[in-house]
Amino acid sequence: MTTGSAELPVAATAHRPLAKKRGRPGDAVFHGLLLTALGIALAALAWLFISILSNGLGNLSWDFITSRPSSNPARAGFISALKGTLVLMFYTVLVAIPVGFAAALYLEKFASRTRDDLEAKLRRRERRIAERRAAGAGGPGMAFAQVRLAWSRVWVRVGPPVNHVLDVNISNLAAVPSIIYGLLGLALFVAIMGFSKSLLAGGLTLGVLVLPIIIISAREAVRAVPVSIEQGAMALGATRLQAVMRQVFPAALPGMLTGSILALSRAIGETAPLIVVGGVTYATREPSLNPLEADAQPLFAMPLQIYSWADRPQQAFLDLAATGIIVLIASLIVMNLLAIWLRNRYTRRW
Amino acid sequence: MSSNSRIGGEVSQHAENRIPAMEVENAGARELVDGPTVFDCHDVSVQYGRSLALTGVNLAIRRNEITALIGPSGCGKSTFLRCLNRMNDLIPGARVSGDIWYAGEDMYATDVDAVDVRRRIGMVFQKPNPFPKTIRENLAFGMKVNGIKASPDRIEEVLRRAALWDEVKDKLDDDAFALSGGQQQRLCIARAIAVQPEVILMDEPCSALDPISTLAIEELMRDLREQYTIVIVTHNMQQAARVSDRTAFFTVVQDDRGRYGVLAESDTTERIFRAPADKRTQDYITGRFG
Repeated sequence: MTTGSAELPVAATAHRPLAKKRGRPGDAVFHGLLLTALGIALAALAWLFISILSNGLGNLSWDFITSRPSSNPARAGFISALKGTLVLMFYTVLVAIPVGFAAALYLEKFASRTRDDLEAKLRRRERRIAERRAAGAGGPGMAFAQVRLAWSRVWVRVGPPVNHVLDVNISNLAAVPSIIYGLLGLALFVAIMGFSKSLLAGGLTLGVLVLPIIIISAREAVRAVPVSIEQGAMALGATRLQAVMRQVFPAALPGMLTGSILALSRAIGETAPLIVVGGVTYATREPSLNPLEADAQPLFAMPLQIYSWADRPQQAFLDLAATGIIVLIASLIVMNLLAIWLRNRYTRRW
Repeated sequence: MSSNSRIGGEVSQHAENRIPAMEVENAGARELVDGPTVFDCHDVSVQYGRSLALTGVNLAIRRNEITALIGPSGCGKSTFLRCLNRMNDLIPGARVSGDIWYAGEDMYATDVDAVDVRRRIGMVFQKPNPFPKTIRENLAFGMKVNGIKASPDRIEEVLRRAALWDEVKDKLDDDAFALSGGQQQRLCIARAIAVQPEVILMDEPCSALDPISTLAIEELMRDLREQYTIVIVTHNMQQAARVSDRTAFFTVVQDDRGRYGVLAESDTTERIFRAPADKRTQDYITGRFG
């Protein structure tokens, strides 16, 4: 309590001078290894980029972007592929965004995952039914309540593991090879639902392909909104649905969109599933941009055009493939910039 | 008002001596009449999962008074506060037992809509939690979900009530996050008032604020007491002494049921601070807790 510091034991040994700097060769070697690894990765990328630019830049012109495909490499252009990709992305967005966002909101905000939570719900229901019965209630309302109660009793046991399996499998789905999604799309949209091997079937397939990625990133965005926002809304007398839809969802939206754009930039370069669904076609006419006509348009997109050019023996077509890659990469960069801008513009520090 | 207050002016050496434990000026002190009770709590217990958080609380909270809930960390005072507007319903695994009567009705009856409970009993949280929207939208949200028209007049009125109007009247359409912490908290109070509640619960509303904002909010509370019933959880005993009419002291008990909170005693603030009946209260308010 009193002058404590003076009574602290003084170091018994004499003062040791501060150590001098010395080399640490282990550190230097490790540092070097890390730099080498980084160098290899960047060099591979740079080599790829440079070779594409040197082969493809010569063809890059407004004519290339606005011309149709042609068997004459000097006149061949990219417009069919660009329009095809636009229609594909339209359907991908149409499927993946509403379904993905809804699934994310449900999983984060409405699905009860803990057993305690479900048990509490069950107890409330039991009490309510007992009270209503005591009050002499009956009829179809009561029968419905009994069915709900029976379901609650089952779900208390089954729910948590089911939700857990769902959770794990959404992550697994994001890692399934894209060609499997191609087979799924072929079976579901072409064989079962009877669409032709069209932009419509391809777009829907890509939508299913990016769905798990969108769900995962959207869930993260929802989770980033502090629970105090939701509780603040509910403390004002909002229902959970109002709190989630009017406060949590708008607050999470920029993050959800950022994740979605990144997911779409994966879809835009996907080739394998499109080949499985539609085969490598050779579009001679420009596809219509009208989404309602998408089922009548042969499946054709930027990566397919690049693939079909790269498959040819003539050097002129290989150079055209490189030019197509430049356009594809440019659109990827634009999408990523948009995502970065969205994130920086709207992200909040809570 | 706070300049006169001092803690432990004459600390009693023996708990049984009823020497004033703490002298505090309560600027809003007034004659208390035993008005009608708003909340009647009987044997309230709360469990989180399998662990007991709070048990055996019997407390009456009266109309148009400020009731302070004080006590050490983990004593369950915030937990108890959240029972009063069924906020614990939102916490997975939380279970409330016992009876809480609100204006003569069983608040936890199975046919009571918890949404209406929360509309009538507003809440202000520990950390200011404005919605990430404009000031106007922050106020309009609660009004809209409760079917109240968010007219400019009403917005002005609630902002004036919350002593915020002069500071924000020119930036109603600015982001609420641009306000200072104290302003954000007053916005949250305004937001709570805007839905015309009967009771306002405040969970350590000043713990994230500087002393000047704290004073502004205390002043506001004294103002609001004429119209509302206020229950405030606070860590700051001087604050409890300054603003509240009655005080409930919660404490922590450790036994074979685990570590949980109980209500040690409740009385007028004056008596709790000058002559507490319970030794634990005396120890706590004189700083000899533990």
